[in-house]
Amino acid sequence: MLEVIKPGVQLCIQDLGRHGHRHLGVSQSGALDPLAVRIANTLLGNPLNTAVLEITVGLTQLQFTSATNFALTGGDLKACLDDTPLTPGWRYYAKPGQLLSFASSPDALRAYVSVEGGFDLQSVMGSCATDLQAGFGGINGSPLAAGDQLHYSSCPERHSVGALQPGYYKQVRILSGPHCTQLDSSAAQLLSAKSWQVLPDSNRMGMRLTGPDLITHQLSINSQAVLPGTIQLPPNGAPIVLLNDCQTTGGYPMIAQVIQADLRHFAQLSAGDQISFTLTTPAQAHQDTQQQNYLLNQLRIALTHHDRSIS
Amino acid sequence: MTQEQTYLLGEQAVVLDLNCARLDNTQQNRLFALHRHLQKQAQYTDIVVGKTSLTLVLQDPTQCASWQDQLLLLWEELSAEDFHPTTHQIPVVYGQAAGPDLAPLAVQLGLSQSDIIELHSAPLYQVKFLGFLPGFAYLGCVPERLRVARLDSPRAHVPAGSVAIAEDLSAIYPSTSPGGWRLLGHSPTQLFNPHNQPPCLFQPGDNVKFVPQKEGLC
Repeated sequence: MLEVIKPGVQLCIQDLGRHGHRHLGVSQSGALDPLAVRIANTLLGNPLNTAVLEITVGLTQLQFTSATNFALTGGDLKACLDDTPLTPGWRYYAKPGQLLSFASSPDALRAYVSVEGGFDLQSVMGSCATDLQAGFGGINGSPLAAGDQLHYSSCPERHSVGALQPGYYKQVRILSGPHCTQLDSSAAQLLSAKSWQVLPDSNRMGMRLTGPDLITHQLSINSQAVLPGTIQLPPNGAPIVLLNDCQTTGGYPMIAQVIQADLRHFAQLSAGDQISFTLTTPAQAHQDTQQQNYLLNQLRIALTHHDRSIS
Repeated sequence: MTQEQTYLLGEQAVVLDLNCARLDNTQQNRLFALHRHLQKQAQYTDIVVGKTSLTLVLQDPTQCASWQDQLLLLWEELSAEDFHPTTHQIPVVYGQAAGPDLAPLAVQLGLSQSDIIELHSAPLYQVKFLGFLPGFAYLGCVPERLRVARLDSPRAHVPAGSVAIAEDLSAIYPSTSPGGWRLLGHSPTQLFNPHNQPPCLFQPGDNVKFVPQKEGLC
């Protein structure tokens, strides 16, 4: 099993999210970087939706009490297995007693760890993702604490292998939102005309932004469905990018939607970071989503070849 | 006349927006009929009813354009009579510790506490939509004489089961949370349990009748 020695700032169990229950007010939850989850699970031959650990900021220590292969993906939080530095995007073998520790980094915020075969967890409403607001999923609906234990089946050693992960950027592509036409000027164009700063009160529910010229308005809309990636504009003009733990409906105008392929970049953004938006088209957005699927397929094929050639 | 329209929200969601301030009963039930109809189809990830809209999150984004047309067609075809809601009887202990805002509200509105209980428990409410918390149902509509704003400052802890009102809506808190609605009473009915199947007692469009209990004021 994996024992939490130090959880760090926030350590929680996430997968690709809880779907199909939004009409009951249940948030999606799930990893902020779904591509990192899919890469980690591909490296281990796990189903892509297998639950992983999401490490936020770092300063985390975990101990393996039985042998397993694990994969490390996401941002580089300076992880070490005992004293050996590890590279995100790679899988490694841990012997019983080895310590997996994370420092922290000014350039990254979240890392992901998956184990071969997955952790032994109970799914709630079709997902193991921790819903931190509602308090279910993961382990008792809470972030992990020191002493928590995650069980898994022990595995024989596999060769360490990995691949370069797609980079993280501070320029994010958006599609124009439905309420732009009701605002005085095209808010999505204004949004993409300058850079925005991430505010400290951002979390897994949403990222609050500020900038030099806020787009203030008086428009209120009837509450309707919002999604992770929806950019809301409250009357004070400071945009909010909704993330995985967001509520299911909202009454602020929706001025843009972050394309799915680019949502992962928000996993690595910290307070004070500058980000900018560029408008794109649905066709380009589909193509980028496809591109990520191709990348995963290529990785899977290369791994199958690699694992077969060395066994 | 409504000028309903459909549009995309991002790559994978199609919105049917009825483009009006509020829905009449017929439109409201047509929207729920559409929701139930769509729930039987296998091609969606989520369907969310809003106050005057319905959002369909699709599994296959290449289907967005055809669903924009289909939603408008279905909206035309379905009628309010196609919707058959379940009615839930919800026992409520009104007043005193169970409903700390009942007495001050009676003073504010110039009514007796019994008047407020009678007014609040008279209508057959409808679940307009759910949100805020898992299982938190927005119930409409509260009688005109009972319409009050939210508290100036929200409570840090509203106990699970609290029966509350704000503006033209009533609600029952499914779990303990912060909240600014006026608390009239308390119900022992469990509204949401993630481990149950189904996890939520109320579905969008269901009817709710509050039944005052003898243990409280009535």
